[in-house]
Amino acid sequence: MVGAELTSAAVTPTLGLLWLVPALPLAAAAVNLFWGRRLKRAAGWLASAAVGAAFVLSALVVAELFRLPAQERLFVQHLFDWIRVGAFRVGADLRLDALSATMILVVTGVGTLIHVYAVGYMEGDPRFGRFFAYLNLFVGAMLLLVLGGNYLLLYVGWEGVGLCSYLLIGFWFEEVANANAAKKAFVTTRIGDTAMLVGLAFIVWRFGTLDFDPVLGRAGATLTEGAATAIALLLLGGAIGKSAQVPLHVWLPDAMAGPTPVSALIHAATMVTAGVYLVVRSAPIFEASPVALPIVLVVGLVTMLYAGTSALAQTDIKRVLAYSTISQLGYMFMAAGMRAYAAAMFLLVAHAFYKALLFLGAGSVIHGMHGEQDLRAMGGLLRRMPVTSATTLVGVAALAGVPPLAAFFAKDQILEIANHTGRPLVWALGSLGALVSALYVGRLAALAFLGRARSRAAERAHESPPTMALPLVALAVGAAAAGALNVVPEGRLAHLLEPVVGAVPHGEGIPAWALSTLGGLIAVVGLAATWVVYASGRVDHEMLAARLEPIPRMLGAGWYVDAAYERFVQAPTLAAARFIAGVLDARGVDGLVHAIAGGVVGIARIGRRIQTGFVRSYALVFLFGAIALLVLVGARS
Amino acid sequence: MRTPIAWFVMLSGILFALGSLGVLIRRNALLIFMSVELQLNAVNLALVAFARMHNALDGQVLAFFSMVVAAAEVVVGLAIIVAVYRRRQTVDVDDARELRW
Repeated sequence: MVGAELTSAAVTPTLGLLWLVPALPLAAAAVNLFWGRRLKRAAGWLASAAVGAAFVLSALVVAELFRLPAQERLFVQHLFDWIRVGAFRVGADLRLDALSATMILVVTGVGTLIHVYAVGYMEGDPRFGRFFAYLNLFVGAMLLLVLGGNYLLLYVGWEGVGLCSYLLIGFWFEEVANANAAKKAFVTTRIGDTAMLVGLAFIVWRFGTLDFDPVLGRAGATLTEGAATAIALLLLGGAIGKSAQVPLHVWLPDAMAGPTPVSALIHAATMVTAGVYLVVRSAPIFEASPVALPIVLVVGLVTMLYAGTSALAQTDIKRVLAYSTISQLGYMFMAAGMRAYAAAMFLLVAHAFYKALLFLGAGSVIHGMHGEQDLRAMGGLLRRMPVTSATTLVGVAALAGVPPLAAFFAKDQILEIANHTGRPLVWALGSLGALVSALYVGRLAALAFLGRARSRAAERAHESPPTMALPLVALAVGAAAAGALNVVPEGRLAHLLEPVVGAVPHGEGIPAWALSTLGGLIAVVGLAATWVVYASGRVDHEMLAARLEPIPRMLGAGWYVDAAYERFVQAPTLAAARFIAGVLDARGVDGLVHAIAGGVVGIARIGRRIQTGFVRSYALVFLFGAIALLVLVGARS
Repeated sequence: MRTPIAWFVMLSGILFALGSLGVLIRRNALLIFMSVELQLNAVNLALVAFARMHNALDGQVLAFFSMVVAAAEVVVGLAIIVAVYRRRQTVDVDDARELRW
């Protein structure tokens, strides 16, 4: 069972500022939307300042919260009644507890750095102000999502970030491919969102309210197993869509069409983790069902392996990272599926640092190479872009799980819990996935930064401006140090989260030190192997890839899932639409209308013969008519 | 001795029939117009005759109205005929048949 009942803290002057945390970015978004063009470069600094201020406020509020005793670390701020229909009531409530505190710190913290970075990256873009308006709107919506005290407010934020994702993926909509990617992301996540909305309707039906406290507090007692399964799976549908899990993952690799800061902020560090947050937040509902959590585990496991292997064969630097993100989210789902919510949250925080770092590093590389994204055209950037390369390599090591960087702790704890709770297969596959992560990220590093330059753009690459370099350094420090948050599975973060998400599962298995050693070894071996193959010059990796065909091609195409969707979902849908438009509508509906119109025309063609144009024949008809009337009246009386 | 009402009605009927015939067989718009006047005056005669028979003024009043309206109608009608003549150099109604199907 998830943590004991929390009692809500009384409002203090500092806690009372909670509403400003989402309000500041939203206000800045409004200003930038209306006056962004006139503010020019200041638009970016305004946006950064708003998110930075939100971060400082969050830190203050969270510090105040953690000064309270563990069982009182909950603060609900009721802003106003939003919906009141009979007994059904939805308030605009913000809820701050250890879980949402973690999320707002990640969102505003990483968000601030990415905003600063974007000031440099988006320099000279004709829609500079609008970009920051969208970015701020996104941060505001994300904060609303994690701070919402009920499912409806969460859903508002949920759709808000979805909208911003759409707007930002298609930010350079002059390219048709970008606009299509935006549409794809919107439509794909919509499938999940629809499931989630139905889930919310289920919750209202069963509980009569959408507030977290009554729903989650009474979930085990109120719900039958079937109802819990239904609600949990519908919510999971939303989470799968938003967090790009199999089978709704197809939008995320395409989402890389957006500007790179967007990929870092939305499609790596924050929005895509909303699905994990939803599962962790709704844990009592998932636990009330016998099958929901195992399904979460399987989804996570399949996604992790699928996306990891797909990342191995990508040639676009951002697509490697996109598949990597999907894979890492799979780890988080695995952790949640094993009730290791704290471990899921720990990986979420750690991942936010190193994946934002990797994306910003990739953006810096793309910036330095004037838009080149193909790994095959890079190489040897270490000498030409020292800051970018060094910081990105820290991110690479952190993602691979080199001790003592972030993922070494975060990923190992998930694998340790898998091993200690009697899931040897999950542990084995998870370790395999860890090796795959080390391989794909090592390949990225070796191809981009080591070896020799393979194109003129790579030879002429230049270091990025300080607004881009400084956030990289800050994130590198974060990625290196984030492991300290939770050195062991029962570490500080897990302890802080325990009142909300419950204790970390315990058990016996292979000793923790042995597992950690193995994890570290996997990372080092994986990175070393990629160095040998891709950077040492001893192996002709292109020849190797050619000999392995068709496997690289299959992995590069994401196991042909996209092609299968096109073939078996998109094509039949289009054919059906074409049938309805071309046959049912054109022949059926329009045919009926045309038939009626044709009949009227036919009757008129006969009827209009009466109109001869001879005045005297009209007069004759007139006369006969008058006589007939007279006769009729005479006969009546 | 009063003239019997039947004579008036018969005269009125004959005049009306003549007028109707004129409207139907004439092709000149002016003559059709005159025939219409004949019809109107036939009706006026009948109205006045009936008014005298009933010793009431209603019919005579109505006859006055009919004359006033006929005068107005003549003004408009003649104006149209003049306009048609200016345009077509003829007032033959069988010629003016553009407004058929």
